[in-house]
Amino acid sequence: MKKGTADISSNIGAVNRRSVLKGMGGLGLGLAAAGSGFLASRRDAAAAESLNYMCWEGYNAPSILEPFQKSKDASISIDLITDSAGGFAKLAAGASREFDLVSSDSPWIQRMGPAGFCRYIDEADFADQFAEFYPQFRAPFEPLAFEGKATGLPTRWGWVGPTVNTKFDKLETWSSYAPVFDSAYKDKICLLDWGDWPIMPLALYAGVNPYEELDAAALEEVRKVLRAAFKNTRAIVADLAVAQKGLIDGSFRALIGGGTYATSALRMKGHDYIQSIVPEPKNGLKQGIIWMEATGLIDNGKNSQIEADFLKYIVSPEVAKQLAITEATCNLVPNSKAEALFSEEEKKALQMDYMWTAWDNSQFHTVAPNIDDMLAIWQEELAAR
Amino acid sequence: MRIESKSWNDPVLVATVAPLAVVMVAFFLVPLLMTAVLTFQTTQYYRLVWTWDLKIWTEVFSKPHYWTIMLRTVTMALICVVLTVLIAFPVAYALATRLKTFKTQIQILIIFAFLTDAVLKTFGWILILDKNGVANWLLMHLGFPPEMLNLLFTPTGTMIGMVYNLVAYPIFTIYLSLVRIDRDLVLAAYDAGASRFRTFFEVTLPLSRPGLYSGAVLVFVLSLGAFLEPKVLGGGTSPLASELIRQSFETRVNWPLGAALTMVLITTGALMLAACAAFALRRTATTRRPA
Repeated sequence: MKKGTADISSNIGAVNRRSVLKGMGGLGLGLAAAGSGFLASRRDAAAAESLNYMCWEGYNAPSILEPFQKSKDASISIDLITDSAGGFAKLAAGASREFDLVSSDSPWIQRMGPAGFCRYIDEADFADQFAEFYPQFRAPFEPLAFEGKATGLPTRWGWVGPTVNTKFDKLETWSSYAPVFDSAYKDKICLLDWGDWPIMPLALYAGVNPYEELDAAALEEVRKVLRAAFKNTRAIVADLAVAQKGLIDGSFRALIGGGTYATSALRMKGHDYIQSIVPEPKNGLKQGIIWMEATGLIDNGKNSQIEADFLKYIVSPEVAKQLAITEATCNLVPNSKAEALFSEEEKKALQMDYMWTAWDNSQFHTVAPNIDDMLAIWQEELAAR
Repeated sequence: MRIESKSWNDPVLVATVAPLAVVMVAFFLVPLLMTAVLTFQTTQYYRLVWTWDLKIWTEVFSKPHYWTIMLRTVTMALICVVLTVLIAFPVAYALATRLKTFKTQIQILIIFAFLTDAVLKTFGWILILDKNGVANWLLMHLGFPPEMLNLLFTPTGTMIGMVYNLVAYPIFTIYLSLVRIDRDLVLAAYDAGASRFRTFFEVTLPLSRPGLYSGAVLVFVLSLGAFLEPKVLGGGTSPLASELIRQSFETRVNWPLGAALTMVLITTGALMLAACAAFALRRTATTRRPA
């Protein structure tokens, strides 16, 4: 799945572009740049321990990494992922030997188990962390389990449902995905081109549970619903900013496939009339989807204590709060103690008053057995558009 | 001038050619070969399984939507070539013949536009082409109905972006051809009684062909790989081959499929270029044939 616009790989820690540029600004000209680079390299080499961390944008914030680096005398090298599947493929292709930790979408953390490069978490070692989580995320936490063993800890979450500008539409209108197919909404719908994210809710509307094994008839239903949605859709966009702009100015009446990931940052900036909701269950099938990011340890042969320490650190209340409110996106965190650290405005932006309603009416975004079939159908229908 | 015949036994020639040959083999042929080999592999649980299998090629040749997108990509690239050349030629001609005083300033402006990051330029077009963007605002103030233009998230929007991002290439190649035309040939045509129109079509245009062809080839090749414009300005209405390949590699983690589609795109582009080159050579030979 691809989210947002994060598209650069950087190396946070002693040597990174920002620190080098900062050095250039301070000392001037190339000589100073070379000098600062040299000093940075020395500092990197001087750090007692190092971590290679693959993660989504937001986890790499200096305010999150630097305190840990200082307290543990460690350096952390970051590899930003732009696509969970792509990040997993990189690890599966052999990079798992190089990385210590990964923060990605939960199905891909869970997949590290069967892929054979997961360093499983001993739940007893993380008992304090689990105790701080909301009950819904406490051990044993099924979505991250493989053969009864925990593959990681949840770090951020939210829900996928229609994202609506309430200046133009009532929320009740979107108690179902029906407007996506309504001619009155022709050329007013935006689908987010984020891998499987837009496919899953539309499949649910078609009466197909995409998280179960699907037969040919069910896949045909998925095809039909995608085809119908494409006919009514104005745009299928991958860039979050473009989708958000259209939503604010009303050229898009609803975004499908982004949910709170597309909403909270807008609400944080004062656009509190933008809301992500979860449709009502249809024929007994819950229509919302809970997405979750998780952080897992990688079995790379090194398996040192500092990696587990970082995992404990990243889910701690203070860090979780920082992880929730980032420049690009704002998301919920599983740590219940972090809730007290949010201001009222932040809670409102995160739609915290609605989160358990959304939870109760949603499927959990897990490994979908037929995901490649559904992605192939998406490609085929898009080509025929 | 005497042209010496060179042979591969000549150590100077070998020493001159060797570095380039090594670079081409290491950074072009070997990756291309690896891509071709990859197409015969399969994936299992997002991991590459080394085997020799025609499964991917069977899929590529049995699913028509891959070819729909390839055909659309080639069509869009050809339209882009025509439009960029049509825009570039008058600009280059004016620079070479009519705007000599401001030539440097205009060239600098074009270079600035050319060097500006394509991501910025493409996103900039959103502000212009949007329903409530600058273009519609301007038209509305000129008395046209509101939201008259609906170009964003259409194939036309994609084409505007592609033409804008690529037009600098033929401007410069054609300009370079035009400034190298011997002015005496043009004057001789006038002396022989040819009109400006006839002189242009019988002297200037044929002599500017090298620049025109090289500009067209550059635009065609780059258009085949257009990624940003269909993604940002097309809004999923005109998915092109590069997006299909990205989806296969990244979203579906099906590297053999991505590699196969890459090979199809490269082969299609190479065949098209070979056909155009053959046509151009035949045309040149016809033009040079003595009466």
